[in-house]
Amino acid sequence: MWLPIQINEQSAEPLYYQIEVQLRALIVSGQLDEGTLLPSIRELAQLLKCSIITVRRVYQDLENEGLLRTKQGTGTYVARIEQNAMDRYRLDAVMESLEAAVDAGKLVQCTKEELTKLFQEVLNRKFGG
Amino acid sequence: MTDNAVSLTEVELRRPHFQLGPIRLEVPKGYVTAIVGPNGSGKSSTFRLILDLIKPDKGNIKLLGQNISEEEDWQTKSKVGYLPELFSPHDDKLKASSKTDFVKKWYADWDVNRYQELLRLFEVDDSIKLGKMSKGMRRKYELALVLSHHPELLLLDEPSSGLDPLAWRTMIDVLHRYMEPGDRTILMASHIVEEVKRLADYIVFMVHGRVLGVYEKDELFGSWHAFYVHGEQVSRKLVQAMPGQCAIEEAGGGMLRVITRKAPDAEAWCGHEGITISHRQALQLDDILAILVEQERARLRS
Repeated sequence: MWLPIQINEQSAEPLYYQIEVQLRALIVSGQLDEGTLLPSIRELAQLLKCSIITVRRVYQDLENEGLLRTKQGTGTYVARIEQNAMDRYRLDAVMESLEAAVDAGKLVQCTKEELTKLFQEVLNRKFGG
Repeated sequence: MTDNAVSLTEVELRRPHFQLGPIRLEVPKGYVTAIVGPNGSGKSSTFRLILDLIKPDKGNIKLLGQNISEEEDWQTKSKVGYLPELFSPHDDKLKASSKTDFVKKWYADWDVNRYQELLRLFEVDDSIKLGKMSKGMRRKYELALVLSHHPELLLLDEPSSGLDPLAWRTMIDVLHRYMEPGDRTILMASHIVEEVKRLADYIVFMVHGRVLGVYEKDELFGSWHAFYVHGEQVSRKLVQAMPGQCAIEEAGGGMLRVITRKAPDAEAWCGHEGITISHRQALQLDDILAILVEQERARLRS
């Protein structure tokens, strides 16, 4: 099975983190349905050219978050995710980007009013309002 | 954590022109460990020691939980597949199938279907005499041979030497599938950067007969970075204090290229010192090896 996960070797972010973020996004966005069998640890390691130590860590972390479940001897599956948990994850990613945008604004000394105005402009442009 | 497929404890081998060790090396079960080092660093000797083909002057070697050179060690050895770097010329006159007939007798778990499947995958005709095979063909045949008794441990000495790119890809795939059950182990020596990247979980650096360290692959590549820094306050003297700093060079335009083996710490340090990192680059395996060899030479000189 192929997964659309891109690794950036030059990034400051550790490999396991890069994979975790993208796999989480694939699950909470519904691109991977509940019950989908994921590649084995060795297969995913082969696909991403990383070690099985890294893949095992990713699967473990996402299992602890309740996004994956492992059946002994058969493999790792996408778990059933409650709707409100799905919404929370969905908004988490948006919130993170918004915070990054505000940080970028603060870096060039934007005021709160300026940022609000910019945000409105972007909204209007994107939603055609 | 895990048990070890192979462990060497304070192993030393002395030869008139070369000393190996003392080596301490543990090869964890269930993983692919790659030994990386320049020619003559002792990789092949290490394999021969593990298989009891040469005796160490000192130290202890355990293979699949057993001490080697005990009376009944053939049972342990029958769970190992060993692909040497060079093949001895004495069986050149043999047909490949005759060699197979000889070899398979020694393995209770010999699997003829597996053997045939591997020959088909590698496109090898075993009715040819070994001496008449091309280097790559010979290598593929020998690889099929060592995989056909379902070994628990594979020792591969420069597995891809002589293989064309397609055969190389097939080999990588076969080895990944070999590892799939999770309880098998590969110890390989290689200086092919891409091969190590594709296969290894752990990397062992070996230089001048010494093991310089064992690293988890992704952690290794995540730690060795080159930072490009510049600015009024940035000087050679200042960046010398960067955590894990291994080398500093001028990159032109007042820019310094600083190599660190502790990228996360170095990044935090730059933040603390108010140094902006304009660009960063993950080092490749051969870059890292070159630095380690240089450091080892400096250590030997001093």
